[in-house]
Amino acid sequence: MRKRKSIVEFILFIILLTGAMFMMIPMVYLISYSLRPNSDIYQYPPTLFPGYYKLTFENYEYILSKSVNIFIYFKNSLIVGLVSMVLVALMSSALAFVLSRYKFKGKEIFFLIIIATMIIPGLELIIPQYQIAVRLKIINRLSGLIPVYAAWMLPFSTFMIRGFVDNIPREMDEAAYVDGASPLKVYFGIILPLMKPAIAAVSIFNFLTCWEEYGWAQTVISSEKLRTIPIYIAGFFGRNNFTQYGYVFAISFLSLVPIITIFITFQKYFITGLMTGSVKG
Amino acid sequence: MKNRKLLGIFLTLAIMIGLTSCTSPKQAETKNKQIEKNETVTNIVFWHHYNEQSNENKVLMEILIPEFEKQNPDVKVEAVSHDWADLHNKALVAATASNLPDVIRVDSAWIPEFVDADMLMALDEEFEEFNSVKEGILTGPMDTANVKGHYYGLGLNTNTKILFYNTKLMGENDVEVPKTLDEFFEAARNLSSEAAQKIWGYGEPALSGWNMLPFIWSNGGELLNEDNSKAEGYLNSEANVELLSKFAQLYKDGFLSGFNSGDIPMTDGFAQGRYAMIIDGPWKYAELQGGHADFTDYDATTMPAGKNGSIQVLGGEDISISRNANKEAAWKFVKFMTNEFAQVEMGKAGQIPVNKKALENAEITSIKNYKVFLEAIKTSRARPAIPQWSELDQILTDAVTNVVLKGADAKETLDEAARKMDEVLR
Amino acid sequence: MLKKIAKKRKIKKEYWQVTLLFLPGVIFFSLFTLYPIVKLFIMSFYEYKIGALKESTFVGLHNYIQVISDEISQAAVVNTLIYALITVPGQIVLGLLIAVFINKLSKAKVFFRVLYYFPVITSWVIVSVLFRYIFQNEGYLNYLIFSMLEVEPVHWLETRMSSLAVLSIIGIWKGIGWSMTVFIAALTAVPLELYEVAEVDGSNSIKNFFYITLPSIRNTILFTFVMLTIGAFNTFTPVKLMTDGKPLHQTEFVLTWMYKNAFEFRNMGYSAALSFTVGLLISIIAIIQFNYFKKA
Repeated sequence: MRKRKSIVEFILFIILLTGAMFMMIPMVYLISYSLRPNSDIYQYPPTLFPGYYKLTFENYEYILSKSVNIFIYFKNSLIVGLVSMVLVALMSSALAFVLSRYKFKGKEIFFLIIIATMIIPGLELIIPQYQIAVRLKIINRLSGLIPVYAAWMLPFSTFMIRGFVDNIPREMDEAAYVDGASPLKVYFGIILPLMKPAIAAVSIFNFLTCWEEYGWAQTVISSEKLRTIPIYIAGFFGRNNFTQYGYVFAISFLSLVPIITIFITFQKYFITGLMTGSVKG
Repeated sequence: MKNRKLLGIFLTLAIMIGLTSCTSPKQAETKNKQIEKNETVTNIVFWHHYNEQSNENKVLMEILIPEFEKQNPDVKVEAVSHDWADLHNKALVAATASNLPDVIRVDSAWIPEFVDADMLMALDEEFEEFNSVKEGILTGPMDTANVKGHYYGLGLNTNTKILFYNTKLMGENDVEVPKTLDEFFEAARNLSSEAAQKIWGYGEPALSGWNMLPFIWSNGGELLNEDNSKAEGYLNSEANVELLSKFAQLYKDGFLSGFNSGDIPMTDGFAQGRYAMIIDGPWKYAELQGGHADFTDYDATTMPAGKNGSIQVLGGEDISISRNANKEAAWKFVKFMTNEFAQVEMGKAGQIPVNKKALENAEITSIKNYKVFLEAIKTSRARPAIPQWSELDQILTDAVTNVVLKGADAKETLDEAARKMDEVLR
Repeated sequence: MLKKIAKKRKIKKEYWQVTLLFLPGVIFFSLFTLYPIVKLFIMSFYEYKIGALKESTFVGLHNYIQVISDEISQAAVVNTLIYALITVPGQIVLGLLIAVFINKLSKAKVFFRVLYYFPVITSWVIVSVLFRYIFQNEGYLNYLIFSMLEVEPVHWLETRMSSLAVLSIIGIWKGIGWSMTVFIAALTAVPLELYEVAEVDGSNSIKNFFYITLPSIRNTILFTFVMLTIGAFNTFTPVKLMTDGKPLHQTEFVLTWMYKNAFEFRNMGYSAALSFTVGLLISIIAIIQFNYFKKA
């Protein structure tokens, strides 16, 4: 019996490994071309694994030496990502709590509206959002990016966390109320700690989304020192089909490193958090 | 416990929001300095699309702006680089909230649009010196900023296209450099071959106005009537039908390629000897030297002449001042960018000057790569200066694609396209 | 009497506290999402040209009529629908399969979870650029096929069907990691007792999968379905960078056509009408999915 199990496991392992190789092909492509001169990408026939002598770090050197500002861009992306993430975490968890525990007229309709707004593409909303941002005087500031990002991620996060909260038994709330607690005390003292896995899960996802966002960032940010990483990467794309892809791939790889690190570190929260959240849906 | 948690959260938020607000743009800092030092330094913002990594940007940031600020200590310029398409969209979005930068480097094709959107200042109305400045700039490029008699920018740089050809392939196939359109089509045929790797006689990157108009005009055809209000009778003229059919035949026989999504890009294709001839602008030299430095078997000449001569399409950029700009400071900068010094410096970086004196300057006349372009510019025409140009361009592109790619009947397709264009123009 | 007043005070205090929790999110959402959407909706009834500071003319349903009757938007909707029809089930089935496989492993779980999630966190721009090089007429894929089989290379990006196929493959490739992660979470929540009982009754793994696992994670599947459908309709970057609707708008997707109208033709009214029309369509699909799942 045990032998059978381990054979099955072995087969699964091989299947998964093959699949994983397909998943990684473009990544290999990316790393491969980032380690070669810019003109290599135009070669025919294309080669994934060039000879050893071809490999060079010149693209990375160029990027890291030429722009000392790259650390500023990383910092900007980090700030925007973190603040947006925290804002959404706070607001969506509070919202989820209220939606889960309290009845009021139009609750379900309100919830549906929140979800429905996810259907309208962000691209379309740029103009109205820009006008609001101008009026609030947050154009060309990092604080112009954050509210829109937060608002954008709010529906999905609320949805996920609400499902999670629905699964927390009401008896816990009841017990606290009997003891004379107020709603705020129940929320902060009991529910919020229990929500931590769910919050962690959506937070990681939200951070990643902010890290990569380009459209709104490009519209709001004009100053060079306020650029986020996606804007910086876009600056390497040339017109007339002439882009130095060596640099593009190198900087893209560099910008993936923090994300991957965060993901690996937090991925166990990811799993536990999503768990009960999506079961209820 | 609840209070401590709340406090903690609010503190964290406060710190983060504090961090964010601290990173405000240079403008705010300098404004503070203003109040402190009691000087009047005006900041102007300049949006352009010189690529971040390019020579032009280097010249702008390291030579031009410092020189300008030296000569004008009361003005500071903040230049922001964008991608070409992004700049267009961003300017439009900014316009909806009247939040435009002071100065913009505008692609000449955008001027009619931007004027229709009321984004730009009419320079001839706002500045007395305008006429004298205008005199120093080539007429053709200046006219790209002319909408209904008013000038909404100064010409900043110009470009057009010339015919690049592979000298090695020409030699091998015993083909002479084509001087007329007929010779051109012949050459395209003779230069193609079906060796191990297919070689196309001619590569065209797209089928839109920028690509087709030179052929249409040189061949004696037109797109619209004189005041750009009607397409019927012009777009679907016999000359155009004949030209389009020739193009379609060229493609069908396998001598033309480059505009499909999967085709080899122009520069790489040309450098690898896959396209024997291409028609493109001055940036091609930079691209070839940058990405394919070992390829040197090429030369260039002007557009092959048709019944109407050799007419290419005039591109280029203008420098404009937006409606809500710091007028005086912006005008100073705009004048500077179009004076001889700035034009020569940019000229050395790859931007063909429009300043008359600059064009006679020894440093410019000695640039080998400009010779053919300067010749071609004399007979180049700008695209129709109407705000609906994007829509018309799309209709034209679709029509040409239908005929060339899908083999549709040229006359019928052009008739239909003319009808559509007239609807848009109404 | 005093007790009643105290109770009223307490209820008021409760309401105030709940409102405090509720309000920030609502205000934020209303200001930055709801209000722009309402503005956009109003825009869809006008001939709104971007940038023009002059008055836009009210045109009523004209934009909507144009959207419905326009061949290109019809083609775009169809393309996006086909794309969704392939990629959404594709991501769910494959994601679920991989999640099940990974769950059965005793080691290397994290290794695979991370590996399969890589495509998800890579930016669409990079993905599009890379895949374009792979699928170009003389790209890597054709090079492999051509040199191995000596067959005419396929022009992947030049016809409607092959482009849709390529885009769908990329879409599935990029999304599997996400649905896989969601499903792994859901799977670990299925109580083990269910399986143990089945074991006693003599069931095998395949029967288990269909009769225990699937029903238990039904809600997760529905949730994933809706999210992936919305995501599929929001596809923009890969289409724009690989075909940009060519040839002749045959490979347009809803979002690329929307973008073209908004920013190239400056026809924001039409663009807005298109987004709401498609939004309506997606809502109808979502409602159908919900009802189907409720009944099944």
